[in-house]
Amino acid sequence: MTTSLPARFGVPQELEARCARLKAEREGKRLTILVCCGTGCLANGSAKVADAFARELHARGIDADVGLAFKRTGCHGFCQRGPLVVMMPDETFYQRVKPKDVPKIVEQTVVGGKVIATLLYKDPNSKQRITRYHEIPFYQKQTRVAMRNIGLVDPRDLRDSLARGAYLAVAKALGAMTPEQVIAEVDQSGLRGRGGAGFSTGRKWRSARAAPGERKFVICNGDEGDPGAFKDRSILEGDPHSVIEGMIIGAYAVGAHEGFVYVREEYPLAVENLGHALCDARAAGLLGRNILGTGFDFDVQISRGGGAFVCGESSALMKSIAGMVGEPRAKYIHATDRGLFDLPSVLNNVESWSDVPVIIEKGAAWFAAMGTAKSKGTKAFSLVGKVKNTGLVETPMGITLRELIFDIGGGILNDRPFKAVQTGGPSGGCVPAHLLDLPIDYEKLTEAGSMMGSGGMIVMDDRTCMVDVARYFTRFLWDESCGKCTPCREGLSQLQIVHDRICRGLGREEDLPLMERLGAVMETAALCALGKSANFPVKSTLQYFRDEYVAHVRDKRCPAGICKDLTIYRIIDEQCNGCGACLRVCPSKAITGKPKQLHALDQGLCISCGACFDVCTPMNAIAFDPRPHAAAVPPAAPGAAPARRNS
Amino acid sequence: MSHEPSGRVVKIEIDGRVVEARTGEFLLAVARRAGIDIPAICQHEAVDPAGNCRMCLVEITKASWDGWSRLVTACLYPTEQDLIVKTHSAPVIEARTVLCDLWLARCPDSAYVQKLAAEFGIEKTSYQPAAVPTDQCILCGLCIRVCEKLGPAAIYTVNRGGRKKVAGPFEGPPPDCIGCAACAEVCPTSCITVAERDGTRTIWDKEFQLLACTTCGRTLVTIEEARYFGRKGGLGESYYQLCDRCKRLQTAQQATKVAGLPLTVGGLGEASGRPFRSPGSLTTSR
Amino acid sequence: MSATAAAPAIPEPDLAPVDAILAGYPQTETSLVQVLQDVNRTFNYLPCHALEKVAASLGVPLARVFSVATFYKAFSIKPRGKVIIRICTGTACHIRGAPLLVDEFVRHLGIRAGETTPDMGFTLETVNCVGACAMAPVVIAGPRHHGGLSPADVPDVIQGKSDDD
Repeated sequence: MTTSLPARFGVPQELEARCARLKAEREGKRLTILVCCGTGCLANGSAKVADAFARELHARGIDADVGLAFKRTGCHGFCQRGPLVVMMPDETFYQRVKPKDVPKIVEQTVVGGKVIATLLYKDPNSKQRITRYHEIPFYQKQTRVAMRNIGLVDPRDLRDSLARGAYLAVAKALGAMTPEQVIAEVDQSGLRGRGGAGFSTGRKWRSARAAPGERKFVICNGDEGDPGAFKDRSILEGDPHSVIEGMIIGAYAVGAHEGFVYVREEYPLAVENLGHALCDARAAGLLGRNILGTGFDFDVQISRGGGAFVCGESSALMKSIAGMVGEPRAKYIHATDRGLFDLPSVLNNVESWSDVPVIIEKGAAWFAAMGTAKSKGTKAFSLVGKVKNTGLVETPMGITLRELIFDIGGGILNDRPFKAVQTGGPSGGCVPAHLLDLPIDYEKLTEAGSMMGSGGMIVMDDRTCMVDVARYFTRFLWDESCGKCTPCREGLSQLQIVHDRICRGLGREEDLPLMERLGAVMETAALCALGKSANFPVKSTLQYFRDEYVAHVRDKRCPAGICKDLTIYRIIDEQCNGCGACLRVCPSKAITGKPKQLHALDQGLCISCGACFDVCTPMNAIAFDPRPHAAAVPPAAPGAAPARRNS
Repeated sequence: MSHEPSGRVVKIEIDGRVVEARTGEFLLAVARRAGIDIPAICQHEAVDPAGNCRMCLVEITKASWDGWSRLVTACLYPTEQDLIVKTHSAPVIEARTVLCDLWLARCPDSAYVQKLAAEFGIEKTSYQPAAVPTDQCILCGLCIRVCEKLGPAAIYTVNRGGRKKVAGPFEGPPPDCIGCAACAEVCPTSCITVAERDGTRTIWDKEFQLLACTTCGRTLVTIEEARYFGRKGGLGESYYQLCDRCKRLQTAQQATKVAGLPLTVGGLGEASGRPFRSPGSLTTSR
Repeated sequence: MSATAAAPAIPEPDLAPVDAILAGYPQTETSLVQVLQDVNRTFNYLPCHALEKVAASLGVPLARVFSVATFYKAFSIKPRGKVIIRICTGTACHIRGAPLLVDEFVRHLGIRAGETTPDMGFTLETVNCVGACAMAPVVIAGPRHHGGLSPADVPDVIQGKSDDD
């Protein structure tokens, strides 16, 4: 018999007792099957795997076995190996599971207690098969605080979260602490904004509490617009109750009774799971009037973002909640005094909110014991790009880039040379190889010309063109800028034009100082934080990879072989063994040749995409050279960017 | 955002001069009152400041800031005690110069932008000028804010980022436009065209019939404008049946009738050559 | 407003669902973005007359409604195809070859990003990160996510969708 929820928890003690009972109930299970149903695994087909489990367990008549539990959970982080299935308490970790594997898993592992070796993860470096979750290098160095429950709970089942101690921090804060004590605890923990800017959460709350006014708001920023970052999506999808819990505590601390969660429309599952969680929390008396009988009222509503990177900026986000276009305003007056609807508002990132309950429960000292001098606690990162193990990672602050990329990430894809890691999204920069031993914290990343941002870590190898990366970000920002102020809007237009011509081989040497001067003014003159940092991707690539710019501008050569107008590919005859790998991936059918015979590349058909080069790793029989007469490529019409829907 | 200065009188320093101001008052207003010139494009006393153009950037610091300073827009920055403001420091001039350079790339044909850029020593943009003749709009947004303030809110920005522009709904003639032409009046680059011909006015690709004075026949305002402000101001549409001059004449005639005195038109002064202004119109005083 | 050549004129749909959507929200400007989300989802785009209805109902000037409709990327003011192919162009996808995928889709479908095929079968869009970076490069065709694609997979993605129809 599973314990059902009471209609409402009338007092904190009722919640505590229920949490303890649910915990004991879950710990009594002989086996718990966790099927990852995060967006990544769903994309790999995990819904069908989960359905197969449900069917198979039912068919064998063991679905009602009290010793057995089966759950659809949020993201385990190791999205690349999905669909993932984890069996607790033994932590047996199956990866790339297909629906057809399910009967065998049920037969051999669930019923027979045996491990199926072929479904285990094989470490690409040691070539060893690994059975347990925590023995996998990807998980070994992780410490999960903000992501503590993800993958272990069914986000649609409040009881699961309660068994993991959800809302106990609410009981403690509302039941036994004054708002000032809550703020002091958060302040002492050293928690800083996990959205990237790193402002002290405690200080922000204190200002909002002190701000005059009866009506105040707490807001959760789930507009994770940084390309390459998806930790907030994962938290909202996989453990929405931690975020709601953090918001209740924050609202109590600052004296707010209304909350908003702003979530990107691109994250439909997050919206769905969060909505479900809010209903459950309301029904259980954890939200709404008189929470846990303490007399404190607070409720949360979801605001779906319309798809605008700029809405990650606090004042733009607040305008968007108010139904307007997301144009930032000058923040000479802080949001804690005048935010949403011109009323005092506290805005924190999803991850920050998720950290709060743990800080209240375990205390500021526990949290502050992790991390570096000024950056306390843990941080979630999305480790992606040209790295072997891609996925979501949470580690204490202060881990080095090398540990993150080479120990957790397993090194560079195809063992190519590491070139840079891009952190902090479009407001960040590219950190080069000689800074690999940099401990990751807010200050160190800023000193290196980048920033923490949303925790996106995009790993780049020698096949990444840094000029192309800068051009990419410039284009991204040009598209995403709100367009309100001159330096950001016009500055990005010009940065984009200059990058386009450099990548086409039409760059001029004076382009580099021109961009530097423009960038410096954008930094001081733009209206909002995004405009002021819009130049950073260009600035950091110019700082660390100037030689690549010079190669493009002076030699009309793309050292990474990425800029098509500057690159031609050829087959090295003496190294080709006729394996056909290149022929299969060539989208323009430019490569011909019989099996086991020398292949030929037709330059007339080749589109210089480089797909052949990237697959020819065993033989290295493809090479690239600078395109002759690159300067003859006609320039693009100014401002003629690829069409968008409204143009 | 509404803005109320909190009123405490403080002393601040602008370009070496000590100036009195109330806390919360915007720097631009304080400077102008003291006769200190700060260039501003997207600012107009009729509407709230927006900080769009960035031309009014000034450098601020305080003695307690350890030499640290930053650029802020004077139009939006609230005055506070001990502020030291430099309106023409090197970083300020550099920022304004680059802004003008960027506008010149955007609107190479605009006489207004050319003149502005020339003031900063720019004859030719350092950037790639727009090849197609542009509409000469620098997106300062004054037209939008004025239209909103007057009430119709007929035009707005469309799209975002580099594709942003000012337009009516569906980028067509704005259904809510009343043809008052206040937007054109405040436009710094004069890029909103207003054409008047044969008793009609065309603006935003929309044609309006102009009301004529029932006495002298001179064109007054658009029918839509008369209707809009007649209703909004509680004046009734009949308010717009006569032009100003004929209205004065009528009043005088009535007064004369009451007093039983003879009337001479000349005594009321010459009719001004200026076009009629509706009560809703705004005047620029830049 | 000029419609793109690729988007043929289709009759304005029945707007009854708009009333139902509006009934679910407070009639203030604050509801605007949320209402437009629902309208956009219902019709797959924002029909002209639906915007007029929303403006009148919420008491927001039509110009402002149109401004919001064109500011946010989730909204489309043009009718879109049966299958919307969204190519993620986030950073992780970019460096793992998303631009090559865009080129391939453009080549195969004969339309540019932001356009719809004349038979209203497909709309091609690029999207600035869908948060599935670990599987880069990612394409979402209709409801289905495809990860780790190479240019050679593009015909299958298009074909696969056609088979479903």
